[in-house]
Amino acid sequence: MSSPRAVRKDALKPLWRAAVLLRAITWLFAAGVVLAHDGEYANTVLAWGTIGAMALWTVATSVYYLRRSKVALWFTLVDLGVCCALMCMSRLVLTHDQLTVQVVPLVPTVWVTAVVAVGAVRSGMVGGTAFGAVVSAFNYGVRGYFDTDLTRDFVLLVGVGFVVGLASTTSKQSAERLAMAMRAEAATAERERLARTIHDSVLQVLARVRKRGRELGGEAAELAELAGTQEVALRALVAAAPLESTANGQADLRPRIQVLATNRYQVAVPATPVLVPECAAAELAYLVREALENVDRHAGDEARAWVLVEDLGDEVVVSVRDDGVGIAAGRLDDAEAQGRLGVARSIRGRVAELGGTATLETSPGQGTEWEVRIPMRGRNCG
Amino acid sequence: MAERAISVMVVDDHPIWRDGVARDLSERGFEVRATAGDAPSAVRIARVVRPDVVLMDLNLGAGSGVDATREITAELAETKVLVLSASGEHSDVLEAVKAGASGYLVKSASAEELVDAVGRTAVGDAVFTAGLAGLVLGEYRRMAAAPQETSAPRLTDRETDVLRLVAKGMTARQIADRLVLSHRTVENHVQSTLRKLQLHNRVELARYAIEHGLDTDPAQ
Repeated sequence: MSSPRAVRKDALKPLWRAAVLLRAITWLFAAGVVLAHDGEYANTVLAWGTIGAMALWTVATSVYYLRRSKVALWFTLVDLGVCCALMCMSRLVLTHDQLTVQVVPLVPTVWVTAVVAVGAVRSGMVGGTAFGAVVSAFNYGVRGYFDTDLTRDFVLLVGVGFVVGLASTTSKQSAERLAMAMRAEAATAERERLARTIHDSVLQVLARVRKRGRELGGEAAELAELAGTQEVALRALVAAAPLESTANGQADLRPRIQVLATNRYQVAVPATPVLVPECAAAELAYLVREALENVDRHAGDEARAWVLVEDLGDEVVVSVRDDGVGIAAGRLDDAEAQGRLGVARSIRGRVAELGGTATLETSPGQGTEWEVRIPMRGRNCG
Repeated sequence: MAERAISVMVVDDHPIWRDGVARDLSERGFEVRATAGDAPSAVRIARVVRPDVVLMDLNLGAGSGVDATREITAELAETKVLVLSASGEHSDVLEAVKAGASGYLVKSASAEELVDAVGRTAVGDAVFTAGLAGLVLGEYRRMAAAPQETSAPRLTDRETDVLRLVAKGMTARQIADRLVLSHRTVENHVQSTLRKLQLHNRVELARYAIEHGLDTDPAQ
């Protein structure tokens, strides 16, 4: 397995190899053109000299681009400068007639395309387009006039720069995403390893301290209570999956509810993910938290609570039951004064916004039970 | 205890916890026949000592508690397995119960709850926490929604009602009051949800074995 860093570095390697290969092949073509026109030039020696310089430059740049893991901008600019300079040599090599009437190719001919590819691979679409434009400008400048053929060269050069630049940008982005995914995977593996370690050591000891301390009573029982609180908190932490959403905005409701489990609050969920729209997951978790805080405040110190999450396919049902003091039927006014019904109203309002229903059952000594039903079919975050 | 003491075996890879549980149970009149620290030795030792109840941790260092549960319940008809594991190991707990465990208790349960649960397991009752009821309920609903699970068992309306109340933390006694049933009937409903699931699991395993040729003796 290669590291994320290596993935990003390697992403452009094939493009660099292609650019180097393109320069070698186009050099052969340029040499062939000079051979074909041998003897017709104003300065044949300089023509072959230019081809020689091109060969040297091809070798030098190839070594640089293939060896370097990070290609410097200044080097690609020097490369561009050298290529344009070699194009200018054609003014001394070609006769005036060859330059303007016969339209014999410049000495480097298509060899200059390679430097446009270099700019594109190094600096993306912007770099490619700019390098293409500069080479075209020199093409016009060396010939000294505008015509359809030269404009066609312009379009092709800028086009090559743009397309190769696009490819370069895209592979950089994909490599970036791949590296991110690999980092996330490594983080998950690390998290699982930690969870296992915590489970095998700290949790076992805490559980034992809590159990034995409670049996011994007195001060030991107080310590046991502290150990127990930490044990449950730690269990919830290592058990809960990370809060991630899927690509289409769905989220697993379970971990958001499971983190609410404590000594007094138990959470029951299915073994398979309960997928709901992201916003509904957040709202439901908020509702359950609110209901549990209400239990904390009003149901009595000894009250325990149970949260049940059910996935019925077309709807999700979340129940919160406590075994606290409950509310007597005749005491609803008192309850309202205490703020308990304020919470009830807030819960009902939120459920209604999700298109669901909320029922509250209570009687004295029987605790309270909320049942919230949210339809899932075709619903999305508003 | 009038008759002979209930015999128990404790399987857990953590010695502090294992010995603590063993001592708790001995002090309360249970006969702790053996302890084991990993799945293979748990199966080996259980064959020899044949305890009434195996207390099984699922998070074992070597081998899986689920496989040990499957082997022990398949081979030893008289031995019941009670899973005693950390909360939060959802799929493992569900798998262990499907493999034949008669119940599940969280490690945070008190010594009294543990004693009560072992006693009930020994006489053949299912020991459900609210968490396990939620898992079993979810498993039946998953099977009902899956198109390929045509032979999967279904819950009756009454069984669904009972399981939901167990998942909401109610005791068998409270459920009996709420649904106007006898305590025994409630226990039977819980028991039957478990048995159907275990039977289905065994049938599925056998079918898988036949389809993949695992039932033929490689020596022939």
